[in-house]
Amino acid sequence: MLTDREIQRYSRQITFIGEENQERLKSAHIVIAGAGGLGCPIAIYLTVAGIGHITIIDCDKVDRTNLNRQILHWERDIGREKTRSACDKLQQLNPEIRIDAITTVITRENASALITGAGLIIDALDNFEGRYILNRAALDHAIPCIHGAVCGYDGHVTTMIPGETACLRCIFPEPPTGSEFPIIGTTAGIIGLLQAHEAIKYIIGRGELLKNRLLLWDGRGSTVSYLDLERDPLCKVCGEFQKRKVTGGKG
Amino acid sequence: MKVLVRAFAGFRDVMGESTSYDLPDKSDLSTLLSLIASRSEESRALLFDNKGQLRGHIILMVNRKRVSRTVIGTLLLSEGDEVALYPPVAGG
Repeated sequence: MLTDREIQRYSRQITFIGEENQERLKSAHIVIAGAGGLGCPIAIYLTVAGIGHITIIDCDKVDRTNLNRQILHWERDIGREKTRSACDKLQQLNPEIRIDAITTVITRENASALITGAGLIIDALDNFEGRYILNRAALDHAIPCIHGAVCGYDGHVTTMIPGETACLRCIFPEPPTGSEFPIIGTTAGIIGLLQAHEAIKYIIGRGELLKNRLLLWDGRGSTVSYLDLERDPLCKVCGEFQKRKVTGGKG
Repeated sequence: MKVLVRAFAGFRDVMGESTSYDLPDKSDLSTLLSLIASRSEESRALLFDNKGQLRGHIILMVNRKRVSRTVIGTLLLSEGDEVALYPPVAGG
């Protein structure tokens, strides 16, 4: 049930999506992996939209070089854990919701525990090693995952539903090279907001998701293109998931 | 025959957004990629590693359908085909 205060707070979107859908947002638990350039705008918009429970995971501390794009972290936060810095502001933006902050690297060992109980995962990481681990854990728990990535003027987004769409390994069998990437803050903002937008549509079940479609944003001409995707039947990662679904077991 | 190549993301800065390439009839995808690479050293370095292998992370699409890098030597192109090349971004 929504409180009177919540009905007032979300009134402009309740008139659009309805009270029932606002309650769906309130009941949702979303894990945001990464509190950086993508994670910040994602977390801000999901917080103010009224997602009832957000868990934000990051291993880093705020550095001055983050400040051109990681908009939840300010000059005064330099040296603080990003999750703490993000959590403080998010809780001020919306005191009605629960926000958990977990400072850790996502590993094969802890990934499963980190996402247990979530209804949706948002991949806002900055490296493919972590993204692949998250992808496998999402498949193991049959939790949808919204993936986004950026570099310079470019970004891409897709929504992955276990058993229904291509998984991250089908789409990107081999990781892109390079570790540090140039980035303009608005690119991360645009891609992060597309990910948050997908999340809201998924929770309320309205609109067309980016299922088996990779949206490509090109900031040079502000254009959007799409690549059609499909499951790789030989995918080593989601192939196992398909097998378990058919046999109904964990083997 | 003419084949249209659409480059995305960082490839766009080097190869151009949309370029038409002239190829002998019945050329395969590998021939097209070599032709693109021959246009500039920068293009070659983006497409191939120092052993001449196509870089594994590049997404290849022919007529909007994903193709595996394992078929580049056998997939024959036709007049008017559209090939898309996307080097995925990774940052967050």
